[in-house]
Amino acid sequence: MSPWIRQHRFALGGALSTVRKSPGSFLFNVLVVAFALMLPFAGITLLDNVRPLSEQLSVDPEISLFMKQEATREEANAIAPQIRQIVAGGGKANIGFVPREQALASLKDKSGLSDVLDTLGDNPLPDSYVLKLEGFARGGAAGDVDAMVAQLRALPGVDTVQIDSAWVKRLAALLNILRLALLLLALTLGIVVIAVVFNTIRLQVLTQKEEIAVSKLLGATDNFIHRPFYYTGALLGLCAGGVALGAVTLALSPLNAAIAEFARLYASEFQLAPLGGLEIAGLLAISAGLGLIGAMLSVQRHLARVR
Amino acid sequence: MIEFQSVSKQYSHDAYALREVSLNIAKGELVYLAGPSGAGKSTLMKMVAAVERPSSGVVTVNGQDIGRIKKAGIPFLRRNLGLIFQHQRLLNDRSILGNVMLPLLVTGAPKAQAEGRARAALDKVGLLDRAKAMPLELSGGEQQRVAVARAIVNRPQIILADEPTANLDRAAADRVLDALRAFHAAGVTCVISTHDDQVLESASARVIRLEHGQLMGGAV
Repeated sequence: MSPWIRQHRFALGGALSTVRKSPGSFLFNVLVVAFALMLPFAGITLLDNVRPLSEQLSVDPEISLFMKQEATREEANAIAPQIRQIVAGGGKANIGFVPREQALASLKDKSGLSDVLDTLGDNPLPDSYVLKLEGFARGGAAGDVDAMVAQLRALPGVDTVQIDSAWVKRLAALLNILRLALLLLALTLGIVVIAVVFNTIRLQVLTQKEEIAVSKLLGATDNFIHRPFYYTGALLGLCAGGVALGAVTLALSPLNAAIAEFARLYASEFQLAPLGGLEIAGLLAISAGLGLIGAMLSVQRHLARVR
Repeated sequence: MIEFQSVSKQYSHDAYALREVSLNIAKGELVYLAGPSGAGKSTLMKMVAAVERPSSGVVTVNGQDIGRIKKAGIPFLRRNLGLIFQHQRLLNDRSILGNVMLPLLVTGAPKAQAEGRARAALDKVGLLDRAKAMPLELSGGEQQRVAVARAIVNRPQIILADEPTANLDRAAADRVLDALRAFHAAGVTCVISTHDDQVLESASARVIRLEHGQLMGGAV
């Protein structure tokens, strides 16, 4: 075995021995750090579940233009060049005409209410246009869209003009705010974790003051003395990260039962899924890293005083 | 091997621990440092171990200038020294075997090798049968012999014993001194500080006397 590995094994053994000597104290510290980590981990799990949902939805404005019920097909076709002209100023646009027959067929197909709709006799749906305006979300052209809608409303035979994607934009903006809030929360609680580990290691240095002083006199290098504390800090962070992730995963079960009931009302099967293996590994590494940083700061601060 | 050239150690404006001390200790020599408490014996030893640095003058140990040695180099200097303290400074959370293994473990020696050499060192001071005992289960004299075993386990070139017989009864003190003399006989340089006149009377070696931080009788 190489001396390097032997030294690290010895340091890890020292850290584990410290844990064995006072398991209650270590467990308490793990719980304190785990509580600090739970909130950002829960937030990350939630965002990880919501992100794919929001990414599937387009944030580009989608305008639906409905003709009056009495407008003929010819009248509907006649305004197509004018629509094209109005939207041409706003960038790239995808204009689709939806005949009233197609709209009814689609409604029957998606709603499962074909029997009810058959009883209506005449088709109650008007001809319509769907205008997908690409690039508007990035361009911050909300004012342009409003002006465009006003122009479209003024076209002959037009009954209603509706912007369909405003709520998606709002959702995306909300998620961005949540993401930023979560980042700030994670930073704050990360500092809390570092502070807790810092204090834990400080107490350990005080407890082992004599051992450190004697080891120094016997020829121990700073690295030899520091390493067990680094391992203790990283171990504390790792265990706390594991406990926090376990708690968040356990909490998903009762949450999903409640969500399932709510989602059923919207004919959805949305469920919160636990984080994937890679994300879990990443969060555990971050937890261990925070513990290591706390231990390093504490060791640098307090060991210099031990002689 | 150990050389002091006009060495002074000043802690404050008028507090000198050592004043203009010059001395030489040759390789393989046994030297007693004598003097009352506060004479500067411990300060002199601390300088040899690079625990303290001189305020002025030059301290050389094994060719290394203690005043200029880098912090990273100090552990490697100390690995060639065997330190024995007045109050033993054994670690009470481990067996005496664990205590004696420590100087080897800090150098990165394999555990099995460290244990073998620690047992051999305990055998030399007559405590092998107590290897598993905890320090607090031993008498003061036995604890000091454990400290001697810990000092010699890494086969040092120099042993520095700071008042090793203080607080011990005569029989226990003699056993500790016999052990140190045996290592000197094996070629190890030994520096033993004491204020015990009985020890000095029976000493068949050079005695360096210090008083108020100064050498009595000039450079030696």
